[in-house]
Amino acid sequence: MKVLRIVPQRCTGCMRCELACSYAQTGTFQPARSVIRVSPFEAHTSYAPYTCPQCAEAWCMTACPVEAIAISPVGAKVVLEDQCVGCKLCTIACPHGTVLYSAATQKAIKCDLCGGDPACAAVCPTGAIEYVEAEPADWLGGFAAERSERLRLAIAGTGGH
Amino acid sequence: MAARHVIVGGGTAGLNAILSIREHDRGASEIVLVSSERPYSRMVLPYYLSRSIAESHVFTAGPARLAQLKVQPCLGRRAVSLDSGASRLTLDDATVLEYDTLLIATGSSAVRPPVPGADGPGVHSFWTLEQARGVLAGITAGSHVVLVGAGFIAFTILNAILALGARLTIVEIAPQILPRMIDAEAARMVHAWLERHGVTIRTGVEVAAIEGDDGRPRLRLRAGEDLAADLVIMATGIRTNLEWLQDSEIRVNRGVLVDRYLRSNVPNVYAAGDVAEGPDAISGKPALHAIEPTAMDHGRVAGANMAGRELAYRGSLLMNIVEVCHLDIASFGAWDDPTAETVALARPERWAYRKLLWRGDRLVGAITLGRASDLWTTNDVGILKGLVQSGVSLGSWKAHLARNPFDLKPAFVAAGTTGRLLPVTTLGRPSVPAELVR
Repeated sequence: MKVLRIVPQRCTGCMRCELACSYAQTGTFQPARSVIRVSPFEAHTSYAPYTCPQCAEAWCMTACPVEAIAISPVGAKVVLEDQCVGCKLCTIACPHGTVLYSAATQKAIKCDLCGGDPACAAVCPTGAIEYVEAEPADWLGGFAAERSERLRLAIAGTGGH
Repeated sequence: MAARHVIVGGGTAGLNAILSIREHDRGASEIVLVSSERPYSRMVLPYYLSRSIAESHVFTAGPARLAQLKVQPCLGRRAVSLDSGASRLTLDDATVLEYDTLLIATGSSAVRPPVPGADGPGVHSFWTLEQARGVLAGITAGSHVVLVGAGFIAFTILNAILALGARLTIVEIAPQILPRMIDAEAARMVHAWLERHGVTIRTGVEVAAIEGDDGRPRLRLRAGEDLAADLVIMATGIRTNLEWLQDSEIRVNRGVLVDRYLRSNVPNVYAAGDVAEGPDAISGKPALHAIEPTAMDHGRVAGANMAGRELAYRGSLLMNIVEVCHLDIASFGAWDDPTAETVALARPERWAYRKLLWRGDRLVGAITLGRASDLWTTNDVGILKGLVQSGVSLGSWKAHLARNPFDLKPAFVAAGTTGRLLPVTTLGRPSVPAELVR
């Protein structure tokens, strides 16, 4: 299936993906309601977007007590709004932290790959988000480990506590 | 001849087992479902109580779905005895069912303490759909509702009671609210939050008796003045439904003891859900969780094994989440392990609290509180779960999290947690879309 491949080295932290995502998902330009989230690394000198990897296990889907999460034709795990009661079980069952809760709708909200035309990938000006045929993977781990090295050394230097 | 599976109990565990069997055998076996009630989800009853969903929304597998799954329903019937040596199950109408494999998924029931009047008029439990109907019928705007017990179940219906316009008093015998879900410091914060939202809470208070002549119950407390109520809900715990196994060979403790394959001591008898005492993911020891996610896992793994797999279960991760008056409360894993190394931080100005429990540089449990509208505290409940579930080594990030236990995401990502999580599946393969399981 096609997935969102993140190339974190290309991300400039412009937050366009969050704006586009919130608009596609909620009809409003509110990054706080986006289901892709740009995280800062290395004391805000590096950034990388993070969203649902559309994992094979579908923890959210199997956790739902009322079958309100389904697999869409493009392979995304999607919330069926009229079925969802807002119990939040999927938000704790998801070990990636990518099923969120919308206080506005009182339902779960997550990445649905925009039905096969993801807005985040379309608007990313640097190609840091690509929608391509690939296996879901850990796109950020190595990057984040490297970019966090200075922070980690600084902590180690002070001995932490 | 096709194998015959008998599932006793139509709740979460039973239905997940059926789906799992069908995922594996595509309809090749015979499945009989014995359930005293039409299958519904207990998890969504609070939303029925608040009238935010219709009653029809609570039902899970209806007749059409059961027919599609080739399940022979035996609804309205209870199992009364099991002859595991002969693989024969007897129901309350004297029907005898023979089986190749049997799943015990009879769940649990609400219990009330031995207090005089605890079964009197106006005193309810909230556990089954029938009980939910009773509570809903008894509450009107302005009613004074007294919840006896301040555990998870009580908290799941707190919003609904307030949404119906009722006044709410909570009476708890323990010195704190949510004693089996969060620590004392978190409980103090939740207590203050609820009082601010108009809920009266009395902890460390024991109910001596419930009296009432005109259908209006009156609670006599061991100390202090009586409490007059329009409706009392006893949320005082649950017990496993095991009576029917009394004369069987099945080994039980508080629940049916099962191994990593969800098998009881009798090889063709499995148990799943609230009634089963299976391995805990953190301790590895038998545990009775009685939570929805454990029932789902149990059902799926038991179903796969009943269908002929040899699938070892990694164990159940204890987790609970509940929102009260827009405050999120969650805990995971070994959140109350007194031998774990802990770090805790409260941010009272944000109504936020977080406690992390460690074994070496691995997270084994957590507690988190935060306003539901506060992305800073609520966005990473899943990330906490992922860290506990994966048992990823956090190395020097541990020191970072000791300073700021709220700043989880960089640690989660840089420790390569995603890479550890992605290859792991409960059934050893990708989830199948529900509509393709038949």
